[in-house]
This record gives sequence, structure tokens and C-alpha cells, in this order.
Amino acid sequence: MHEASIALSLIDVAREVLREHGAARARAVTVRVGQWSSVVPEALEAAFPACAEGTPLEGAHLSIVRVPGVGECPNHGPVELDVTRGLRCPLCDAPTPTLLQGDELELDELELT
Amino acid sequence: MPPRIVTVRQNILKANDHTAAENRAAFRAAGVRAINLVSSPGAGKTALLERTLRDLGSELRLAVAVGDLATENDAARLRQWGAQAEQIVTGTVCHLDAAMVQGVLPRFDLSALDVLLLENVGNLVCPSSYDLGEAARAVLISTTEGEDKPLKYPTMFNTADVVVITKMDLADAVEFDRALCRENIDRARPGVPVIELSSKRGTGLDAWSAFVRGERF
Repeated sequence: MHEASIALSLIDVAREVLREHGAARARAVTVRVGQWSSVVPEALEAAFPACAEGTPLEGAHLSIVRVPGVGECPNHGPVELDVTRGLRCPLCDAPTPTLLQGDELELDELELT
Repeated sequence: MPPRIVTVRQNILKANDHTAAENRAAFRAAGVRAINLVSSPGAGKTALLERTLRDLGSELRLAVAVGDLATENDAARLRQWGAQAEQIVTGTVCHLDAAMVQGVLPRFDLSALDVLLLENVGNLVCPSSYDLGEAARAVLISTTEGEDKPLKYPTMFNTADVVVITKMDLADAVEFDRALCRENIDRARPGVPVIELSSKRGTGLDAWSAFVRGERF
């Protein structure tokens, strides 16, 4: 359970963006969480409101975009991975050592007010 | 003023990554190999470190920074072997981050070290997100904790530079399925090197020692 730490880091990054844009507050925030990021979206949603209290993100709506893992299969090209099978092609079980996407933990968008 | 939507696309942990890069630069400048050890609680990180200090302490200049939620026990255990061991008490935080490591570095004379071993908090989830600035990450799994751990915690195993199977002396007693465990490790991190050892019996430690030195094994 490190989602509170993640929420605090998210708020730090967002505050910096607010400063750059001369904005006082954010009304909504969108983050991208990859399936391989080891962050649980529900836990982040639960932690965020309390972490945002007293900051310019207090009361902001948090939207989480879940990003599935995609690997590069030598036989099938980019394939969506099944996390319970590890980094293997779901079609032919070939190793797909490189994660093309799915390890994201990004602040994607901010709606400023 | 109407609401404005700005696209940011920034890594949420960029502050940690920045500090990790500073740590990495400090290690490189001092010629120190930093190794991050992660595992579930009780997989044998401290036992392996004790063995490492005992076996390699006369050959390499070793020191340890130990992360723990509450106690100083592990650092005290490690100091018995004559190496400097500093505790990082993380409080309620379930992982080490780069700033905690940076905070403890002034207590070490890096120029007098070859290897700094970073014992992370026992946890197979949270530490995977945090780069500490290490040169290599060792993920430990013990024979007693189930062959499917690599698939249950794919993110952690996916960040490993080496996977160490510990407590091999107990493998038969717990009917450890070595082939299945290795297959699951390879699913989580295709091609990652695997070391099987017993800190207690002292078996399999040649490969581990080579990894600590930064050699091929």
C-alpha cells in the first residue's frame, strides 16, 4: 500500500503545473496507471481526497485511465498481455521481454480553474 | 475564465527519479556499486547480507543501509560482522525511496567503500516503483513461500536484474518445485539470471558473490 505516497507525489507534480500556468486550483485530474505499475487504482482513488486536503487539488475529481500491458511478440507483433501469465504472448506463449506499454504512472491532464 | 484543460503527461514519480539519478551519480563518482535487495518479509534478506559480510568482508569494503518500518534490529544484527550498517527507519512507509537513501548517505564515507547494500523494506509491491539509484536490483524469493510468487507480483520481478532463490536447504522439506518456480520467474522477467542458494548452509554463494562484485556469474 504505497498509494498515499503516490497520491502525494501526484499532488506535488500537479502543483508545479498549476504554478507554471498561473492557476490557483485544479477541478479535475486525470492519471494513467499501467497494469504493470504496481499501483492499485482503487487504492489511489481512496487515498487521493485525504492527501489533497488543504492543497489546490482539494475537491478535485480524480479520473484514472487503466493502461493494459502490451508486449512485442516475435510471432504476433504487439499483443495485449494477461498479467497472470507474465510477459508471454497470450496467443503462442513466446516470451515478450519488452513492455511496450503498461508501466505508466503519469499525470495525464489537469483541468484548471 | 472558462476551465482550461492542460495535457501534462509527466511521470508522477519524477521527483524520486531525479533524486535517484543524483544518488546514482554519487555512487558512480565514488566507485561504489549499490545493490537494492527486495523481497517479501522473511525471505532471508538479512541472512543473505550477514553471509555476504562474512564471506566477502575481507575482500571487499562493504556497508549496508537497512530500511525497516520500526526497529533497529537488522542493523544491529549486521554490525556484528564488522561492517558499517545504518538503519533507515521508514515509519509507516512501506518502501525505501531515493530521498531516504540520499538522507542516509552522509553517514557513509563512500570513497572508502566498494559496495553499498541497500536492504529494502520487506514488501513485494511498493518498492518496485522506487528507483533508489542502485546499479542492480536483486529480488529474493524463498523456497518456503510458493512457486507462483513471481506471477502474483509481476511488477517486482519484472524490475529484477537477478532473482535469488533462498533457503534451498529447505527445498525438499517443503516440496519446492524448482522447475515451476524458475518457469514463473522467466514469465515475469524473461531471461533474468537466477541464483539458487542457502545462506545457512553456504551453498550457491559463488554466483551471488560474483553478482555482488559486479562480475558475470
